[in-house]
Amino acid sequence: MLDTVREIETPEGVSLRLRAAGAFGRAQAWLLDTLLRFVVFCVGLGIFSAILGRGGVGLGMLLMFTLMWVYNVVCEVWFHGQTLGKRALGLRVVSADGTPVTLLPSVVRNLLRVVDALPGIYGVGLVTSMIDPSARRIGDIVAGTLVIHADDLPAGSKVPMAPAQPLPLPLDQDEQAAVIEFAERSPQLTPERQEELADILYPLTGREGTAAVTQITAYANGLLGRP
Amino acid sequence: MQLERIGVALRPRTSQEAMDLGMAMLRAHARPVWSAWLVFTLPIFLACQLLAWVLGMPWLALVLPWWLRPLFDRIPLYVLSRAVFEQAPSWRETLKAQRTWPWGRTFAGLTWLRVDTNRSLRLPMELLEGMAAKQRRARWRVLSRPLVGAASGLTWICIAFELVISLSLCIFAMWLVPSEALPDSMRSLNQAFTIPAFRHALLWIASGAIYVSMSIVEPLYVAAGFGLYLNRRTQLEAWDIDLAFRRLRERLLEAGVGVALLICVLCLPSFAHAADTRADAAHASSQNIAEVFHQPVNDKDALFASEAAYVYRDARFGQPHKVQRWVPRIPTMDTRSNAVSPSWFGAMFANLGAGLLNVLLWGLLAIVVGALMVFALRYIRIKKLPLPEPGERPKPLRSSVMHDMPLPDDLAAAVRELWHGGRHREALALLYRGSVQRAATALRMQPPIDATESDWLHYARSVEDQARRERLIAIVRTWQFAAYADRYPGDADVDALLSGWPAQQVVP
Repeated sequence: MLDTVREIETPEGVSLRLRAAGAFGRAQAWLLDTLLRFVVFCVGLGIFSAILGRGGVGLGMLLMFTLMWVYNVVCEVWFHGQTLGKRALGLRVVSADGTPVTLLPSVVRNLLRVVDALPGIYGVGLVTSMIDPSARRIGDIVAGTLVIHADDLPAGSKVPMAPAQPLPLPLDQDEQAAVIEFAERSPQLTPERQEELADILYPLTGREGTAAVTQITAYANGLLGRP
Repeated sequence: MQLERIGVALRPRTSQEAMDLGMAMLRAHARPVWSAWLVFTLPIFLACQLLAWVLGMPWLALVLPWWLRPLFDRIPLYVLSRAVFEQAPSWRETLKAQRTWPWGRTFAGLTWLRVDTNRSLRLPMELLEGMAAKQRRARWRVLSRPLVGAASGLTWICIAFELVISLSLCIFAMWLVPSEALPDSMRSLNQAFTIPAFRHALLWIASGAIYVSMSIVEPLYVAAGFGLYLNRRTQLEAWDIDLAFRRLRERLLEAGVGVALLICVLCLPSFAHAADTRADAAHASSQNIAEVFHQPVNDKDALFASEAAYVYRDARFGQPHKVQRWVPRIPTMDTRSNAVSPSWFGAMFANLGAGLLNVLLWGLLAIVVGALMVFALRYIRIKKLPLPEPGERPKPLRSSVMHDMPLPDDLAAAVRELWHGGRHREALALLYRGSVQRAATALRMQPPIDATESDWLHYARSVEDQARRERLIAIVRTWQFAAYADRYPGDADVDALLSGWPAQQVVP
């Protein structure tokens, strides 16, 4: 089964699903960050040279150094692994095992930008992230980090209220999840599709058409512990 | 389409994730996609170059391959759409299938729909669903509504990717030129541009770089669009639920539950605790070894005993072993109080506390009500008091007394008599009162009833004669000191005050 998820099982048996972020989102985040830093640099340089004249250019260069090398590390280590661009795109830098990224890996992955940016326009980084299954660039591979999607998944609406009915026979966990998912997402489906889906479960409900839909909704209410 | 055979994990995704899924699909089927791509596009690309050369229009070498992209897009889309549901086709099959795959929409894409930022999303809908025009328009509205932004964003980002890759190739090529050779060639570059052959060579190098970058990015673009399309259909048609329901149905039918279930549904409406009982049964059965292995266990069997002894020698049975566990260094308040007090103790305290709080609150309410009643009574009493009649002015407290007392004709004598009689304060008061009255007469003004000492000091300044003015001021000052500070002048000073106007009647 093809997926972009990287599954990690903790010693407690909890399975963490890291949704690795690909080159599209990361490139957009980088573009945003770069524009933002460029604006800050221009404003800072203007202010410094207005106050100090030619000496202000030196301070401007220091500002550029900070924006190029410190900004990413500070954002990743102390602001939940998100620079402003990544925050806007809903991305986050984490360690390969899903823990928050720490100082050293963050410094390594940002120092290796020199390699990823190679002909000056991130050609190497782009090609590497296309090849790697988790869309990591060289800096990520060396530092053992990963960029993931941190924003919430599109969720269905709440399960519509209906008098609950117990399931006529026990279902496995993923089957129960499918029943609840159906009740949650059925308002987004056309009535015909709802009935089509509900008819598949004829062996469970013993009904067809609209009656089957309401029956499954009733089961979902029962599974959610509603009266 | 057989959904059961889909090779992609179906779940709700954000559109960003859907595009990443496209990239993952491309990665998984890289070989069939790119082999078919090269076989199909490389001859066309070379033909374009040849045409440009023959016609003598070198710009065609750049424009034609760009213009034909919707044609090239068919290849990766065909391979991926087949690869997702069944075996990925070889490049031969892919090329053969192009003849039967509908061409109408590709012609549209090559002509009036050529400049369209939603092409990546439009392609799979048009080529895979193949509907009539009217139906297609309605379908496009439903499909593209939440995705237009993502699809055009994808187009722009792919243009940027192509730019990055082709520029990178050029820069890398430049780096390969030895640095000692670079200045010469750079110097001659300006001159070289004047030679048409050099310009054409540069153009072909550029079109070659662009072809390489297009070969990398265009399948990616199509795959990401296909990912968006798959995700949207999963969302619209709940494919993941469909699959889960089909699996459930198969399980139920295999177990022959269907028939039994119908009887159950008809006869026994409630199976509320079925799940619990099943779980209990499983739990109970796992406790007995004999039941687990479906055969009697013979404890006296020597072989079994030795095997068991061997097994128990394993480090996991009975051997000391180190367990590392995180415990909080300082136990929190909750855990400490829970550990110390048994539950009934806590419950008692809770009840007691609740009772006390109840009493306290009722008491507070009683106090508030009582206070309100007292306040209301007072308010009523104040309301009952007779109001002063309107228009009647309040009388000044002292002046009512003083005004009634007539001033003696010989003010100085009266004052001196009082002063020597030891009634200093009354003497000075009389002197002040008489003096200001006389001053008012002298100034031809009605003495204001509320005039203060400072007012009189102010009025005194308009007395013309200097000696009189100073004496009047001295009298007011003396009275002020006496009245407010209880400081009295000596006899000589009083005599000085009494000599002349205003204490003595002087004819002006």
